[in-house]
Formats: sequence, C-alpha cells, structure tokens
Amino acid sequence: MDDEKKFLTEDQVVELMSLFFSCSLLLLREPALYGPLRQLTAAERLAAMVIDDVSPEVRTLLEVALERIPVSHTVTTRRDQYKAIVVELNEALGDCLAARAGLTEGAVA
Amino acid sequence: MSNPVLENIRTRRVVREMTDEQVSEEHLEIILEAGRWSPTGSNHLPNRFLVVQDPELIELIRRVSPGIYSNAPTYLFVCVDRRNFPTYIDEQADDPVFLMDVGQAAQTMALAAHSLGLASGPVTSFNVPALRKILNLPERFTPWMVLCLGYPQPNPQFVMKPGKRRYWQDLVYRERFVPWREFEAD
Repeated sequence: MDDEKKFLTEDQVVELMSLFFSCSLLLLREPALYGPLRQLTAAERLAAMVIDDVSPEVRTLLEVALERIPVSHTVTTRRDQYKAIVVELNEALGDCLAARAGLTEGAVA
Repeated sequence: MSNPVLENIRTRRVVREMTDEQVSEEHLEIILEAGRWSPTGSNHLPNRFLVVQDPELIELIRRVSPGIYSNAPTYLFVCVDRRNFPTYIDEQADDPVFLMDVGQAAQTMALAAHSLGLASGPVTSFNVPALRKILNLPERFTPWMVLCLGYPQPNPQFVMKPGKRRYWQDLVYRERFVPWREFEAD
C-alpha cells in the first residue's frame, strides 16, 4: 500500500460535497435507477480530479472509469447494457486491487 | 403536406452536447417571447423565467444539479411565482396545475429554440435549497425546470439509441378505454 497522502484541492472537495449532498436530496423523488448513476457520476468526477496524481495501477482503473461511466449514463432504460458496464468497472477495480496487493501471479485474465 | 410547425415538432430532440458559442441576445429574446405566449391555467400567469449565462454561476449551478450533463452556455430556469397563485392552489398539493404551466412554457421555448437552430435539453434534477442561495431566490419563487440552451455539437459523442418506436395509434384510445390494447401497446 502507498501511504503517501494525496489531497484534493479545497475547490474539488466542495465540488464533490455539492454533488453528494444534491444527490442525497434528489434521490427522495427520483427513480431508483438514478441512485447508481449519481454514484457513478461522483466516481467519474473524483477520477478526473486525481488521475494525474496516482500510480499506474490506479490510473488504469480511473481511465476505465472515465471512459465507461459517461456511456453508462445513456443506458438508464437498458438494464443489460448498464449491468455490463458496471461489471466491467468492477472487474477493473478487482484488477487494480489485486495489482496493488501484488496478487498478479497466476492471474487468469 | 409541408407544414413547418409540424416539422419542427417532429424533428426536435433533447440535446446534451453543445458548442461553446453563447446564445445570441436576439435568439434569447425570441425564445423568451415564445415562452410568454404559452398558456397557463385560468390565465394566472405564474411562470417567471430566469436566464443565467455568467460562466461562474453556470459552474455553481452545475455542481448542485446532478441532472445536468450538458455543457450548455445558457440556463433558462422556468420558475413559478407563488404571488400569482389564487388562494386555492397549494404548491404541495397532489394536483399542482402550475406544473403543467411550467411544462407548456418549457416545450414552447424548446420548439422556438429548435426553429432557430438551437439545441435544448430540459432538466429537473437540481438542488432547489442550494439554488435559492446561489441565485438569490425568494421563498415564493421556485425553479421547477431548467432548459439548457446552446448550439448543437455537430458530431456528438454520445447518442441515445432509439427505443421501441411507438406510433400515435399505439397511444390513442377512442371513445372508451380498451384493456387488451394495453398489452398490445406495451
């Protein structure tokens, strides 16, 4: 694990808080499927903010996030496509976690 | 039959990707004038329009509006001023007739924008308590919809795949509701 602390700027913190708080309010009246979309939007914003400051393993994950999350916004009515994208994101997450833990030996894919 | 009004209605789309070009004052005024002509229940005229083009305000609004995915340079809020409500209309009631006024004004302005070559996209997912502070809105003045306005990006990156095509015949019943038609249409 990399223990070096990396900080967001104050403006970036406010931007993310704005998104989280706004989403928490809007979810009271929005369709349930918007919940995960809003979470992914927050993840996308965070990825864009920090991608230049992270290790190659994490950068790979963030690149997948930045490429695929915007596409997921267009498939709110197509559950199968949405599911394929979030599975892809979570596979990338698994790859990232395994790589950071040095668990790449014998990897199947 | 060539009919420019019907052609405008048929070809309008919700657009999220726009160019950086600001909406001209001339076009903006034409759109707002069209909004003024939209009908309101009992002619109570509760609609008010708030135009935001300041890039700093646009950025603040975007931050508290998770539903805004577009990069539109102009936000046109369709608001309701409660001062114009008669006493029997309750904003929290189950039958908020004023929302129909908001919808009609927004659609009228979206069509006006389209007729001028502009793109528009309506959004309702925004944080009203935060917007009140950012835009200095009094309690009686509520934004219900924002129409994101701009000029369409010629080569958009994300295009919605068309869903199942429905024809007007799928949506219409004549004289009385027919239960078996529901299954056929859906």
